Order: sequence, then structure tokens, then C-alpha cells
Amino acid sequence: MSGIPEPEEFRAAARRWLTGVARPRAADGEWGSGSDSVAVFDNWTEEQEREHTARVQEWERTRYDQGWSAFNWQQEYGGQGLPAYYEQLYRAEEAAFDVPHRPEIFPVTQALVAPAIGLWGTEEQKNRRLVPLLRTDELACQLFSETEAGSDLAAVRTRAVRDGDGWVLTGHKVWTSGARVATWGVAVCRTDPDVRKHAGITVFLVRMDAPGVTVRPIRQMTGGTSFNEVYLDGVRVPDTDRLGPVGEGWRVTLSVLAAERLDSGGLGLDNADRALDLAANLPRPLTGAEHQRAADLHIRTLVQRLMGLRVTAALVAGREPGAEASVGKLYATETMRRTSDLVSELLGPSLVADTGEWGTYAWTEHLLGAPGYSIAGGTDEIQRTILAERVLGLPKEPVR
Amino acid sequence: MHRRHPELDPQLLSETDEQRQLRTVLRDFYAETSGVEELREQPATPRGYDEALWARLAREIGVHGLAVPEEYGGSGFTFAELAVALEESGRALYRGPLLPTVALAAHALLLSGDRTACERYLPRIADGTLTATVAGFEAGRFDAGEPGVAAERGSGGWVLRGHADFVLDGAGADLVLVRAGTPAGPRLFACEPAPGSCRRAPRRVLDETRRQALVEFRGAPATAVGTADGAEDVVAATLDIGRAALAAEQVGGSGHALDATVAFVAQRHQFGRPIGSFQAIKHRLADVLVALEAARSASVYATVCAAVASPHLPTAACAAAVVCSDTFRLATAEYVQLHGGIGFTWEHPAHLYVRRARAAEVLFGTADQHRARLLGLVGHPAA
Repeated sequence: MSGIPEPEEFRAAARRWLTGVARPRAADGEWGSGSDSVAVFDNWTEEQEREHTARVQEWERTRYDQGWSAFNWQQEYGGQGLPAYYEQLYRAEEAAFDVPHRPEIFPVTQALVAPAIGLWGTEEQKNRRLVPLLRTDELACQLFSETEAGSDLAAVRTRAVRDGDGWVLTGHKVWTSGARVATWGVAVCRTDPDVRKHAGITVFLVRMDAPGVTVRPIRQMTGGTSFNEVYLDGVRVPDTDRLGPVGEGWRVTLSVLAAERLDSGGLGLDNADRALDLAANLPRPLTGAEHQRAADLHIRTLVQRLMGLRVTAALVAGREPGAEASVGKLYATETMRRTSDLVSELLGPSLVADTGEWGTYAWTEHLLGAPGYSIAGGTDEIQRTILAERVLGLPKEPVR
Repeated sequence: MHRRHPELDPQLLSETDEQRQLRTVLRDFYAETSGVEELREQPATPRGYDEALWARLAREIGVHGLAVPEEYGGSGFTFAELAVALEESGRALYRGPLLPTVALAAHALLLSGDRTACERYLPRIADGTLTATVAGFEAGRFDAGEPGVAAERGSGGWVLRGHADFVLDGAGADLVLVRAGTPAGPRLFACEPAPGSCRRAPRRVLDETRRQALVEFRGAPATAVGTADGAEDVVAATLDIGRAALAAEQVGGSGHALDATVAFVAQRHQFGRPIGSFQAIKHRLADVLVALEAARSASVYATVCAAVASPHLPTAACAAAVVCSDTFRLATAEYVQLHGGIGFTWEHPAHLYVRRARAAEVLFGTADQHRARLLGLVGHPAA
């Protein structure tokens, strides 16, 4: 690609390319037919997960091989050398096409782990690891949270002990999406227990098929399994798979977490739209209160989309997005709660007892799944503290 | 089936360099002229605002003519620039009648397409020598119904009889654009009130920074503006412009409330530490920030729709009215609460913002009315 195409030119070219390789998304089917799933978290057996992952990998390889992915990466990694927001421009076009839905492991691999390697990796790591990750030949999951280190992630207890030219990892990680299909796990480990909490942490790239790695699904409150716990039992990791300097792992971790928070703007919109369709298709007139609730949810979907557009507009104008980028996740989790509340009003008893009717009991998946997003990727409370301290500049809690 | 996707060029959501400069100029201007002292003291002028300041705003900065085309003496910018000025004015709780004059009356004139009326009044609005307002628009009712004012043809032209309530700056405005009934249906009229034929009784108001009056027309001479045909559309569109303008002010007022509160809790110490270091305080302010960003998003959408005369203006205006009213109410409630005792005093300006917030949220319809109208606009069956 010579020079940087104008956004409009780029979008038109993306449309042309997509038309050649994918079918347009079918117009919303008749209300009452087709899938009525509103699941918030993917819920599948290991076999289903592998099957779907393979489908997405195929699509991602097509994109990569034909130059329609890795937009902001240098050409040596198969990238396009474009500004980061071209990814959003592309996504806006792709949304109109019937392409496989990307489970969480894909953005984790491409948008969180690969950039962290780009930032912290050695030349050798960048040369060997980046292309397979960007092309999704190899997927990478996060081995971050532990039972005793959730919001307080720096309290991790998983130990990494030096052993010759490598390290031996022992510990227990939880809430890992995609662990069953990942080639790599990015593990936040304690390498020095004698220094203050945020020092003494080191990050490793762990092969998920290494001896001593055991993956077990966690059954979450929806009844399904979307996450795993991962046991690391004396897992040997060569020093060449250490990411970033020894003892500097907290900074590596933070750079991954910061990217995660910016990636949550569209959360909950599909189901909010679906709830509004439900309101419009209800076989009885809405009550006054339901009407008000539906209007409020409609307004939220509009505002949430506008927030996303403002972030894009800031990036296009060459500015760092301001608070509009940081409030997205909190706004989105509230949208998810309001969606549950409206649906509960609209459906009444047929939400909670399965009559077999299309688009009714299926909403229990949303109702039970939505709370997960107020916890995953930084709880609502942690988000508020971050906004208060980093955006509003309020003083930190005194150190005890 | 529903339009839930904002339809606009995202680049319009970004502030231009010119808009940013205007914002800086106005923020400095208000900081220098409308500090806390000025806010607290009722100006002793009969109009309730400093007329010298009004003239400076019009002439030195050119606020009044921002959205007025050059052919009528304005600078021919768009509503987007005016919205910046309104946001800053709302932030400073500016008392002059910008909202009725440059948002409502000027746009009613422009929308009417009546060149004679535009030529007569807009240049004087743009240079700050004429204050104006609208009356009888029944802002709270979307089925505006029979006007409370009737127009009859007298020997020397039209005269108005009847009354209109809650008229912004109704006791002082030089020009009142009145929606009045005629045998051919409601029409717009321009009336320059004179004491003999027009009785104007100021209402006691919650928000002293924005006055209202009951205006009684007793055979007041008036000129028809525009045609009878499009009059109701002009009224509806003017009110939507008013909602977009008010939303910008509400964003400004909310921004002040948040900034002032953040500054206060960062320096106020209790229990040996700044109260802003307590999580209970931080989380409340984080919620205000989220609400403010929502308001900003809704407001800028309504602004862009007004600036480019988008058919989505009615939806955008209703959404902005709901979101920005909600945010302003929350931000000012926290303004008082997080200031503690001092925030509840007469001396502290917080209550002035509470008053403005509560008055603004019912100015052009209540939240429930906006929600009902919005659902109707997006094709939802009515309750």
C-alpha cells in the first residue's frame, strides 16, 4: 500500500473486498423466527469451541493473507502500517457482512497479547511470535486472575523460580477464556516474594501444551462454561519465553489491561436492540411505565453508539480520546442491566418458566450472563476508581 | 425497523480548531466578568442582567450572530458554533437572554422563511441591540392544541388578544414572536410589546438567572411572520432547536458542577485526609463523569442535527433533553451533597445551579413527554 488512504477511500475498498469474500449479513429475519439466543457469554462444549474457533481462524487467515487485518502493524509483521483507528473503520464495514462471530480469545490474541509482545518482546520474540498470533495460527489466553488476586491483581501468588536457563511455574489461575484452544498463555507470576507487591512480578509466555498445565472448565452462574481454571504444576518455561524484564511484569500487565478497557464500547448493544424489538413486537400494548423504560433503553443505545463514534472521531482527528473512551465499559454494563429490567417487565412469567415460546425463556441467558460483565475485565467498582483517579485526578487511597 | 444508529458523519462530532478557540475566549471572558461574586448578586438593572456585558458578548465576541447568516448581519457560522457559546454560557450560568433571543426567536424567524421579518429583526439580534423571545409555543405539549392567543385583523392590521404564560424574558424582551390562532389556523406573529396593549407580569421563579413572565395581549398590534401553512412546523422545529440549545447549556452547567466538586473534595480534609481520597466520594463523582459523557454525546448529536438541518433533529433533540436533564440534575445534586454544609448555604453558588437544573428540565417538556415523543418518532406504537 503506498501512502495512507483517506478514511472514506479505505472504507470503500474494504467494502469492495468484503463483497468478494463474504456474504452480506441477512436482513433481520422475521420476528419470531431464526435464533433467539441472547447469550452474553459463549457457552459451548470443548468440541463446539474447537469447531467454531477453527472457523474463525480460517476467516482471520483470509483477512491477514489478503492484507485486510493487522492494520496498524509494520509491514515486516504482515501489517499495513496504518493508524490504529483504521481497525475501527474496517469493523464498521465488516459489521454489514456475515462473518463468523469472534469469541473473546481472538481480540485477546490480536489486540492485547500481540501488542504487548510488540512493546515488551525481544527481537527474537517479535520475529517468531507476532505473525502466528496476528494470523491467529496460534491463539493466546490471559493467565492473570487468581482466587486471591482478582481486582488486586498484583497480589498474584503463582511462583516462577529460576532453574538453569529457564523457570519453573507453580500456581493456579482462574477466569481464563479460551484456555482450551490457546497455544500460549500469558502468565503473571511472582518471581520475588521479598519486595513490595508491585515489584517482583514477571510475565511469561507459557505453552498451554507443556507438561504440568491442566485446564478445567469453570461452570458459571448461567449454567454454561465460558471460562477455565488453569493449574500450573511445575511447568518449565525457557527464559527466552519471558516477556519483559524480570521484576517489571506489573508494567507489562498494565499495558495489557489498558488495551482491554478501550475494547468494550459495543458491549450489550445487540441485546438492547433485541429487547426493543421485543417491546415493539409484544402482542399487547405497552403500559405507560414500560413505554418509558423502552424509550430510556432506546436513548441509551443511541448514546452508547455516539460515545463510540466520538472516540473514533477523536482518533481520526489525530487526538487522544478523552474521558469518552474510559466511561464506555461502565455505561455498557448499565445498558445490560436496563435490558434485563425491561425484558423482565415485558415478559413477566414467561421469562422465568419455559413455555417453549420463541424469544422468551431464552432471555434468561442475558439475565444471568449480564452480571459477569460488571466483574470481568475490571469490576464496575475498579472502573469507577480508575475514572476518579486517572481522569478526574482525585487523590489515591492513603497507603496503609 | 427502529433507528437506533446515529446517522451522521462522525467527523462532525469532533470539535474544530475554530470552535476550540471560541470556547477558550468565552471561558476567559466569563471567568473575568461573571465570577462567583457576580453570580450571587442580583444585578440591580431592571432586566436582571448586565446590559453592558450583553453588548460586549455581541460586539466583541460576536456570540449573537454566530448562527445568523451574513445576509442578515450575522457571521454565518452554524448552530455548532452557537452551541459552544451556549455551553460556556451555561457553565458560567450567564443571565442574559441568549436562549430566547438567539436560539428560539432568531431560529423561528429563519425557519419561517419570511425575508422581510428576517431583514427587520435579525441584524439587530446579531448586533445585540434587540432582545427577543417566543410565546404561546406550548413547549410542554406536543399536540400544541388551540393557541391561548388569538389574532384578529383590525383596521390597521393584525392585533393579538389572549395570554401566554411561562414566556422566557417575557417581561423585558423587545420582540415577542407569538403563536396565535387565526381563522386559517395557528400562525406566527411578531409583536413589539407596548405598555398600553400588552401587560407583562413577571412570575416569581425558581431560577432567577432565567426570568419568565405571563404576557397578556390586549389588542396588541402585530405583524404576521411567514405563512399559515408551515407555521406549526416552524414552531415544532424552533422548539427542537431550543432543546438542542438547552442541552448544550446543561452540559456546560454539569461540567461546572463536576469540576467545582472535584476541586473541592481534593482540598477539603476530614479524618486527616482529603475527602476525595475516600472511595465513597470517588465513585459518586465517577458516576457523574459517566453521566456527563453521555450528556455530551447526546448534546453534540442534537447540535450536529440542528447545524445540518437533519431530519433526525426531533429524535436527537428528545434524546438530548432526557439525557442532559438527567445529568444536570445528578451533577448539581452531587455539587451540593459533596460540598457538605457549605454547599447548602445561600452564599455558595451550588444552589443557583440546582435551581437552573430543575428549571431547565421542564422548560421544553418533561422527560416523560420527551420519551413518549421519541418512541412515536421511531415508529413505536403509543402506550
